[in-house]
Amino acid sequence: MTQQVDLDALLAEVRERVRRKRERGIYGADVVALMRTELPGGRRLLSDDMKDPVGALAEALDDDVIYDPTSHKRIVGPFITLGRRILISLLRWWMAAITDRQERINRLLAATFDVEGQLAPRFGERLARLEREWQQRKEHEVAANMHSVYFQARFGGDEPVIREQSEAFIDLFAGRDRVLDLGCGRGIFLELLKDKGIGGYGIDLDPKMVSQARERGFEAFEQDALAHIESLPAKSIDGVYARHIAEHVLPGDLVAMLRALRRALQPGSPVVFVTPNVSNLSVGAHTFWMDPSHLRPIPPDLFKFYLEVEGFRGVGVRTFQPSDQRLSEEFSDARARDNARLLNQTLFGDRDYAVVGFQPDA
Amino acid sequence: MTAVHQFHPVLAPGDAMSDHVFALRTRFQEWGYDSEAYAVETKPGLAVEPRSYRELFRRVQPDDTLLLHYSMGHEVFDELVRLPARRVLMYHNVTPAEFFVGINPHSAAHARLGERQLARLAPAIDLGVGVSEFNRRALDAAGYETTASVPILIDWSRLDVEPDPEVRALLAGIHSKLLFVGRISPNKRQDELIRMLAYYRRCIDPEALLVLVGGHRDQPQYFARLRALADAVGLGGAVRFTGAVSQAQLVGYYRAASCFISLSEHEGFGVPLLESMYSGLPVVALDAAAVGETVGGAGVLLPEKDLAEAAEACALVNEDLGWRAQLIDAGHERVKSFDPEVVAAKTKTVLGL
Repeated sequence: MTQQVDLDALLAEVRERVRRKRERGIYGADVVALMRTELPGGRRLLSDDMKDPVGALAEALDDDVIYDPTSHKRIVGPFITLGRRILISLLRWWMAAITDRQERINRLLAATFDVEGQLAPRFGERLARLEREWQQRKEHEVAANMHSVYFQARFGGDEPVIREQSEAFIDLFAGRDRVLDLGCGRGIFLELLKDKGIGGYGIDLDPKMVSQARERGFEAFEQDALAHIESLPAKSIDGVYARHIAEHVLPGDLVAMLRALRRALQPGSPVVFVTPNVSNLSVGAHTFWMDPSHLRPIPPDLFKFYLEVEGFRGVGVRTFQPSDQRLSEEFSDARARDNARLLNQTLFGDRDYAVVGFQPDA
Repeated sequence: MTAVHQFHPVLAPGDAMSDHVFALRTRFQEWGYDSEAYAVETKPGLAVEPRSYRELFRRVQPDDTLLLHYSMGHEVFDELVRLPARRVLMYHNVTPAEFFVGINPHSAAHARLGERQLARLAPAIDLGVGVSEFNRRALDAAGYETTASVPILIDWSRLDVEPDPEVRALLAGIHSKLLFVGRISPNKRQDELIRMLAYYRRCIDPEALLVLVGGHRDQPQYFARLRALADAVGLGGAVRFTGAVSQAQLVGYYRAASCFISLSEHEGFGVPLLESMYSGLPVVALDAAAVGETVGGAGVLLPEKDLAEAAEACALVNEDLGWRAQLIDAGHERVKSFDPEVVAAKTKTVLGL
């Protein structure tokens, strides 16, 4: 047996030779131009044009039909030529009708790809620009260019406050094995679960949050909520806690998330979504917008409706987090007192609410 | 006695396809089958006179095998697949129409017909055989249910003839003689070889010669344009079109050349690649269609078309005796796997004879 030839080494040597010639100016622009000489006397090969079809289309549209009816055969040649000419003149108008229709189709097709007088050779370029702009639009919508560290420091939730809020829901999850915390952050809720001997894990989009949660010994992953839920096997989790997630997604995504949860949850599992209570006007009109990454406010009745429509049972709304400010209701006049109470509810009611529901039993 | 009938629309001397048909015929007869070759059109000069396809309608028996060689469309195939016999189609490939569009409308129309008919015949064929894996995949894609592949039977002794002394004399004293063997046809991209020669003469050897062996009868337009291209790049005298050649001349070119170079973009098998190896000529080839599997690591395969790299690869195997010797050895080794006995045995198994 002969040895295999080391073709990679051979090709490397070949490339080195080309490189050296280019470096020494032997392989210059003149040689490149020479090697680009078109095949004279007619059109380019279609197989070559197919490599840049849109560019070639522009030229093809202006091509004339070339046909020489002359026959070069001896003796019979002139007769054949005459015969062809007669046939051509007889069929001329029929052919013209066909080519006219084809010309129409060609022009219309070309116009479909035409942008500002150019047959879209830059089709891909335009698409890339649109994609870039769309991506930018999505980022600007949530002020993604703002440094989240500063934002977190200025407006981010206080750990003890978050802990206290979350504690109110912990009993719902008693005895569960695999509770999913959507948007787990540093793992405050995961810690509560652990303290109660409840099994659970979290996901979050922020890699820093995920690594902090992991440092604290929790199971956490950096992943998009919807993608994660959709990837879960059926009935593989038995509870969901999602604090301040819903207001960061578009309504369609929220519905898709609920639908995917219906598949992933075991029968009887609780679902808790916490979100700003926008039926409180100072929240809805003011504090909700303090976070530029909030996309849509969700009124409690609407959220409750979403869960019911998607088939969750026992759906209810709980409000909490009373406002610091309120109007005094200390009026002797009963009507003034009622008015003040109504105003307090509308303007200074609870700032957050949770919608709670359950996966139906079997 | 059951028979194996072979059919191809055209049988002609010096054509790889026809040679294959006759080489198979000899084998079938050795294995105890009644075997004849049938054609619609026969070119003069064949050692064995093929029979007219019309006789098939009388002679084919239900137990016979009808082996249809397919390299072009022809209305006769539609009739033949209705004959009651085991029907095997051996696919030698049809060059796609886009190589001929705008150059030779006649060939383009034929290629299109050939592609369509191949798919149309599929339901009537019991076994589809590609002469390469590349061709077998094409059959799969065309809807053939049972497929296999087996290479072409090549009669190597034909290359053992005494080379034509005139060819030797013609090429004597020239350092760089680049050779390509194959019909003049747009899919074989002789135009790119001419462009590559422009680089070769400018950057490597101003005396280099390109020899294009192959008939140009079928593609007069492309042939005329190739000559115009050679003139346009100032290489009129450096490109030699030999036209169709005798076996002795062919062997002369293989023996005298410094390198075999193929930039062909479509080959169903590529017999000249192996013929070069058999003749001790190093091969440099663009890795396209079936070329890679035929070369099988025994030649320089160019992963992409870069004319400067192609030229430098030819120069390297010409100048560097170490690489040259390695490639020649590998070539001889490669040819052994196309030994007629080996291929015949495989053909027998694949055809179930």
